[in-house]
Amino acid sequence: MKARMLATHVALPVFAIAAASAPAHAADFDWMKFKGKTVTFLANNNPVAQALLTYKADFEKLTGMTLKVDAYQEQQMRQRLVTVMNANSDEVDVFMTLPSREGEQFAAAGWYGDLTTMARNEVAKDYDPNGLSQALLKAATFNGKLTSMPMNIEGPIFYYRTDIFKKCGLEAPKTIKDVEAAAEKIKTCDGAVTPFVSRGLKPAIAYTFSNMLHNIGGTYIASGKSNLCSAKGKEALDTYSRLMRDFGPPGVVNYSFQQISALYRSGRAAMAFESSNELRTVMEGGARLKDTGLLPFPAGEAGQVPTTIGWGMAVSSHSKQPEAAWYFVQWATSPEVQKKMALQGIAPPRPSVAKDPEYRKWIDEEPVRKEWQAALDVLATKGSSEVGYPIVANPESREFIGQAVQDLILKQKPVEQACADADKALDALIARK
Amino acid sequence: MSDTAATLTQDRQKLEMAALSAPAVVFTVAMIAFPVVYTIWLGFQTFSSTGKQSFAGLANYSKLISDVEFWHGLWITIALFVLSLALQLVFGVWLALVLFHAKRLPGIVRSLFISPFMMPPVVAGMMWLVILDPSLGAANYILQSFGLPPSDWLASPTWVIPTVALIDSWQWTPYVALIVLGGLQSLPPSVYEAAQIDGASPFKTFHRITLPLLLPTIVTAAILRSVDLLRFFDIIYITTQGGPGNASNTLNIYGFRVGFEFFNIGYASALMLTLTAIVFGAVLAFNRLRGAVAW
Repeated sequence: MKARMLATHVALPVFAIAAASAPAHAADFDWMKFKGKTVTFLANNNPVAQALLTYKADFEKLTGMTLKVDAYQEQQMRQRLVTVMNANSDEVDVFMTLPSREGEQFAAAGWYGDLTTMARNEVAKDYDPNGLSQALLKAATFNGKLTSMPMNIEGPIFYYRTDIFKKCGLEAPKTIKDVEAAAEKIKTCDGAVTPFVSRGLKPAIAYTFSNMLHNIGGTYIASGKSNLCSAKGKEALDTYSRLMRDFGPPGVVNYSFQQISALYRSGRAAMAFESSNELRTVMEGGARLKDTGLLPFPAGEAGQVPTTIGWGMAVSSHSKQPEAAWYFVQWATSPEVQKKMALQGIAPPRPSVAKDPEYRKWIDEEPVRKEWQAALDVLATKGSSEVGYPIVANPESREFIGQAVQDLILKQKPVEQACADADKALDALIARK
Repeated sequence: MSDTAATLTQDRQKLEMAALSAPAVVFTVAMIAFPVVYTIWLGFQTFSSTGKQSFAGLANYSKLISDVEFWHGLWITIALFVLSLALQLVFGVWLALVLFHAKRLPGIVRSLFISPFMMPPVVAGMMWLVILDPSLGAANYILQSFGLPPSDWLASPTWVIPTVALIDSWQWTPYVALIVLGGLQSLPPSVYEAAQIDGASPFKTFHRITLPLLLPTIVTAAILRSVDLLRFFDIIYITTQGGPGNASNTLNIYGFRVGFEFFNIGYASALMLTLTAIVFGAVLAFNRLRGAVAW
């Protein structure tokens, strides 16, 4: 099965069609239409929501509505959502969602409200729905229904220390083989730093591993069966785990974004493959501002197929006030708010915001921000939203990918056995209805 | 007053008492019984990946028997339970003896000794996660300062369970010590006076008098800790999420993931009811033991 590509040239102009009749309704649009109502927002307490909620008072002033925020860490947010949705409760009006992870599952369960009509008929004049990334809108469209509006664009990118590379006589890597060669050289050239670090925590591995698999030319599914034991699949498993085992920090199997950012920011890692969202965290304190280079992950035999995803805002299908909820979604994904969020380091899912002079000025202030934006541009044009298996049980599939990688990092199984065990479990998942 | 009139008055009083206590009884039953009955009912349901629900009979329980992850989780749960309980009882009794005999210990030092169990487990987990980080943590720095080799701690499949047991024991040993200290303070002084007159050594006094008399208190502490240890969740969830691999995947962690990450609420309910039965079994066994050692 082909990766769910995000590239704009292959994306259907789903939303452009839907938005064609929008201006006819824009004149009647009144932000105060639902004055006095209270909208409940179930938020993931990540940098995206934190940046958005800085402007909570602006929304309440603009609409006369009250925004009740229910914020949790990512996993706890999903736990709360599952409880609320299984109980058919209307407690949550709007929730944050990752279409690449749970989109198929939530859409099949009927948890997403259909935004197609509201996004066509209930839009403010300056909302510019056509300005949102058509590719991300396509990734959030299931069975012809638009299920969420994009809040940001993100994906794993390659952070490297320019000073260490210079000291060790290395060039910026162009291929995965270059990364491994650089790690080998850094190991002897500067023994004080960890040459390479990426995600090793089991459920988190798929986010970065998928990029390597796709760059190498592998696929998760072929002819309806799990494909990790294909030559490319085994190569990806072997390369990723070898980089982590031979050049990663001790205890890398417990590493997710917090540990990776902390290690790189403290100057103890030469290369890190981690989310573009972590730029702000990595640059905190300014120690890495002048000695960091950023790139999309170097190419494999299939070139560069970066992982590109985005958080979205969805309206609950159980909400008793979907229109009022939509007003909040619309405000949160409007050009004005997304520009403000972009100035806080949240990559905008709107090309127009990315080109905005004020944003460009912010980008131009630091070379590292320029490289960050350049990497994001590659993510936006070449990316794949396939993180884990493109099946309803996607979250569970990530467990088995992670298990195979951890088995190899910890040398508990040879690659043939690790991939065969994973394929067996994943075939059962694929077959499950 | 005739017998009939007295009986009528008593009946009326009983009715009044029943009527007055009914709201509290209904509320309590609803709060306890409803979730239990609902979970039992969920255990007989199956949920597809999309949340579609259907009656499954005993399918979830038969799946459990053939589920390798269940047996692995049970083994991890029992290993963690035995190791942690042993550490907490041994060091809890020792700490209680120290606190009991150190009469001059300032109040603030006593408070510091018992403070870990007042810390929320999430905070304790985060704190130890930082301390035990193999690259940046203080634990390896200290080991290496003494010329000892560094450890992977929570990242090692071999050491993760002992490490988690140590973290939990760091937090809950003072709690056991407090219970045992209460027991020590209630022991009859006359027995010790008699032992002193007979010339018993401190070790013999402890072995022959203190320990046997303290056993009911120690068993009570064991019951209280057992319930928590068999349901072990928070520190593992914060520090390892069941990893590396499945090395710390206790039944509780496994059930949580099945229910809230993979949305199979029916099977998760069956897992949790099985765990509840194990907890009840352990409590009953300890209760019998307490009866046997009572004096």
